[in-house]
Amino acid sequence: MTSTETRADRFVREISELKIPDPAAGRPRLWQRLGAALMVLGLALGVSAYLISHRTSDSLVQGDAITIGLGAVTTSVVGAALFVRYSLTGFLRFWMARQSYDLNLLADRLADKDTAPRP
Amino acid sequence: MSALLELREVRAGYEGITVLHGVDLSVAAGQVVALLGPNGAGKTTTLRVAAGVHTPQAGRLLLGGRDVTGAAARDLARAGVCLIPEGRGVFPNLSVRDNLLMMTFTGRTRKQIEEIAFARFPDLARHASRQAGTLSGGEQQMLALARGLATNPAVLLLDELSMGLAPLVVSRLYEQVAEIARQGVGVLIVEQFAAAAFGIADHAAVLVRGRVERQGRPDDVLRAELSALYLGSST
Repeated sequence: MTSTETRADRFVREISELKIPDPAAGRPRLWQRLGAALMVLGLALGVSAYLISHRTSDSLVQGDAITIGLGAVTTSVVGAALFVRYSLTGFLRFWMARQSYDLNLLADRLADKDTAPRP
Repeated sequence: MSALLELREVRAGYEGITVLHGVDLSVAAGQVVALLGPNGAGKTTTLRVAAGVHTPQAGRLLLGGRDVTGAAARDLARAGVCLIPEGRGVFPNLSVRDNLLMMTFTGRTRKQIEEIAFARFPDLARHASRQAGTLSGGEQQMLALARGLATNPAVLLLDELSMGLAPLVVSRLYEQVAEIARQGVGVLIVEQFAAAAFGIADHAAVLVRGRVERQGRPDDVLRAELSALYLGSST
């Protein structure tokens, strides 16, 4: 940086040095949907595993069904974790915005009360 | 001087509703651009896109000639983009001094920040220990502006600076904004009422239903607007 550098020059330089990640627009929503899909998939796999094991007496097939069942549980747990994680983010963001708005409202009311003429 | 801030064919919206339909706008260093328009025209969304707070569906945001579409707002803020939102955005439960203290994240000391803020807005110095929520609307807006200036911005984005304020206070605030621009800061002002911003603007744009209907020198834009209003046609 030179001493003759103006604020605009420095801005241009800093922006040119900025590391910009890939645009992540809509990614949280994608993760949330993926989480919901995985939960449903886990349930479907669990039911399928139950039906597969119930309709056969072959222990090998039943072993496959157990494997599918375990996979179903894992899929559901991962899906639920993703869904909760990204739903909570959205909810907390909204809650913080609401808190901030309420505080501003309260401050406005207090200010009005202070400045209002006393009877 | 090339543009510090540029929006190119920006389309943006919320939850499937498109608010901006291809907005083109640019702000050069030391230039004051006034973006006017009725309620719901997309003015605030334009500012949010410019600050990196809202990612556009299409189009590009360029800062200093570089495409920064999708970059995190905090990175743009650190580089020098400062958004002062509608409704002042001060912390009402904190004192004026503590509100200013928040800006030490920029690397400046408390003393430096207070020097900048109190030199520009002496009224704030008198109320340094008061809760920000108990200040008048104009003083709160001064505080919001002072906090913004403490970040040493290169691009200043102001949303409805005059909202709910007396004309005298508005004119004092705009004097400060003009002074900031003279120091080489690019300023984009969003206003619903043209008179407030036209006094200091070098360039004006009128946003209607998410499209820039007119832009140019403030006088020309005002003349065209009046002509459209009274004669029912645009020039």
